[in-house]
Formats: sequence, C-alpha cells, structure tokens
Amino acid sequence: MALHLNLLHEEISEQRQRQRDPLKIGMMVVAGIGALLFLYYGWNAYRTLAIRSRLSAVESDWAKVEPKVTAAQKRAAELTNIISTTRVLDVLIDDRFYWAPFLQKLSRCVAPNAQITHMEGSVSDDNKAVMVTIEGVSAGREPRSAAEDLRQMLIEQLGQSYSDVKVEFKTLEDLDTIVNVGGTTMAMARYVLSVNFSPRLGGKPANSSAATPARSPK
Amino acid sequence: MTLPNLNKDQIQKLALSAMGFVILLYVYFSFFLGPLNRSRNAMKDKINDLQNKLNSSKDETTKTAHLEQQAKAATTRFAALKALNPEGAPIAWFPPRIKVFFANQQIDKAVAKLEGNTAFKQAELSEWMKYNWSIDLPQADFDLLGKALADLENSEPLLAIAKIKIQALPDQPQAQQIVLNAATIIPKQ
Repeated sequence: MALHLNLLHEEISEQRQRQRDPLKIGMMVVAGIGALLFLYYGWNAYRTLAIRSRLSAVESDWAKVEPKVTAAQKRAAELTNIISTTRVLDVLIDDRFYWAPFLQKLSRCVAPNAQITHMEGSVSDDNKAVMVTIEGVSAGREPRSAAEDLRQMLIEQLGQSYSDVKVEFKTLEDLDTIVNVGGTTMAMARYVLSVNFSPRLGGKPANSSAATPARSPK
Repeated sequence: MTLPNLNKDQIQKLALSAMGFVILLYVYFSFFLGPLNRSRNAMKDKINDLQNKLNSSKDETTKTAHLEQQAKAATTRFAALKALNPEGAPIAWFPPRIKVFFANQQIDKAVAKLEGNTAFKQAELSEWMKYNWSIDLPQADFDLLGKALADLENSEPLLAIAKIKIQALPDQPQAQQIVLNAATIIPKQ
C-alpha cells in the first residue's frame, strides 16, 4: 500500500476554510435572491408600462367620446325635465275649475221672478271643492217657494256636471217690500244660498259657446 | 449536517448580513414593488372605469335619441306654454294684456293688480312661479262676462280663477261689478 503524505495540509485546510466561509456563501445567496427580485421587478415594471399604454389608448378614446356623452346626458336631463314639467303643468291645467260653465248653469236657474244680487265663489287650493254663496231676492205670491224653486233648479243643473252638490239656505226671510212684476204686485223674500260641490274629475274645459249664459241675473 | 465552527467575528458579520437582507427586502417591497403594484392597480381600475363609461356612452346616446323622439310632443307643448308669457316682469305685461283682453270682449276699465307671487312646492316647477292677481271689472253685463270668462279660461291655460265675486250695481240692475282672483303660472325671469 502506497504511503500518501500531505505536506500542504495547512494550506489546503485554510483554502477549504475560505471556501466554506458562511459570510461569503451568505453574500452569494443574497446576490442570487437580489437578482431574482430585480428580474421580478423588471417584469412588473414591464406589465405596468403595458397597462399605462393601454390606459393612454382608452383615455384617448374617452376624450373623443366624452363631449358627445356629456352633451347627450345634458340633453337627456333637459328632456326629462321638460317632460316632467309639462306633465305637472298639464295636470294643473286639467284640474282647473272653469267658472264660465258654472255661470251658465247659474243663469239658467234664475227665473224671471228671482234676482241674484251678490255671488261669491271660491275653489279650494287642491281644486277639489267649490264653495259659492248666492244672495238675492225672489218675488211671487209665495216668494219663499220661488226661492226654493231656484234652489231645486240649482241642485238639478249643477248635479248634471258636478258631484256632491249641496245647496242650502243660509237665510230665507220675507221682506216688507212689494214689487210689481208684469203688472201684478207681489211679495218679496230675501235669500242667501250656500252652494258646495266637487268639480267632476276629467271634466271638459268650458268653451265660448257652451259658456254663454242663457239669461242674465235681473 | 454540522454547522461549521464560526468565530465571533464571523457570527457578527453573518448577523449583520441577515439584518441587511431583511432591510433590503423591506425597502424592495415598500418602496419599489409596492408603489409599482399600486400604480398598476390604480391604472387597471381607471381603465375599467373608462371602459364602462365607453360602453355606457353608446347606450346613453341611443337613449337620448329615443327620448328626443318620445319628448317631441312634450317639447312642443312646453315651448307653446312658455311662449304664452312674454319676456319681462309679469307686472309690466299682464295688466295691459288683461285690459286689452276684456276691452276686446266689450268690458272696459278692467284693472289687474298683482297681489303676490309664490314658488311651487313641486320640484318639477322649480323654474316657474305662481302670480296671484286681483282683476277688477267695475261694470259688465252678465252675458258678456260669461263669454269673456270662457274665452279667458280657454285662451289662457296657465291662468286659473280661484275666487269670483259678482255684485249687482244698485243703480244699474243690468250691470254687475266683478272681482276675480286669478293665479297665473309664469316662468321665472
């Protein structure tokens, strides 16, 4: 068996010691990880740049479309506003109470031996109720019955066009005055009528010919 | 595996290196990769947002075109209603208009006075005002009054008579004194 003598034992041992230096190995590992991280960062930076260029393209597209879209949105808002305003105005217009047809009906109810001296009417804010006060005088052998005829006529006439018609005497009193109607002397009575009704929904507006009173109060 | 025998100097160096490595990782993730990812995510979100807007923009323009068709009648009516009221303060043009209107109906001396104006509660009418007027007709025949009121109510759709008072004149039984309380809907100036 050959005899091997290691005459450089110390040098070799030192060299091995240097190669196994943990600091050196650690530095190498860190450098490796550093290189990997750098590559990973580069990959991410590349993706970011790609997304940035895509964003620029989309922004450019949007810049072309945006004025049109803004104008369209503004116009749509304007149109919606016009439609809703017109709708509300139409409701207000349609819900109005038309006084001319009422006056026409009132004039039809006044007989030659009755006279209206004062009339005051108002519509509630929601246009759902009309309140009218009618003051006048009637003449006849039975002046009270002439006033009652007027009340009955009002109920009949107004009932044709309106709902919940109520016509009540607030006052009905005989007067001492005697009048001459058509050559006949007649007694007189003074009355105050309270008229309440609801305008019928969907009622047609008054028109000039229909609203022409048949007879004026005397 | 056996750990090599490390002297004190080597252990110190190793510990320092480990600390340096940790700091490096922190700096890398906090100051390099983190901001990059955040900016990329922000850009992605912005792209998605713009893409959605671009997609909806087509719908928006189509919808507006449809709405334009549907609103034709409403816009015509709206313009007609607006055209009923001339430019300027209503106090300047409404009383003369009423005077002329009743004069054309053979009722003279009509006087319209402004009693006040109020805003509407409805949000749709935020651009409109309600003007309350008192219209005095000192002397009118009942027939003429009926015709005039019918014409007024038909020709002025934005006018509503809230109160009416008719008083027979004591010395002229054929004539009446009339007071009308009317409200008009007028666009805000």
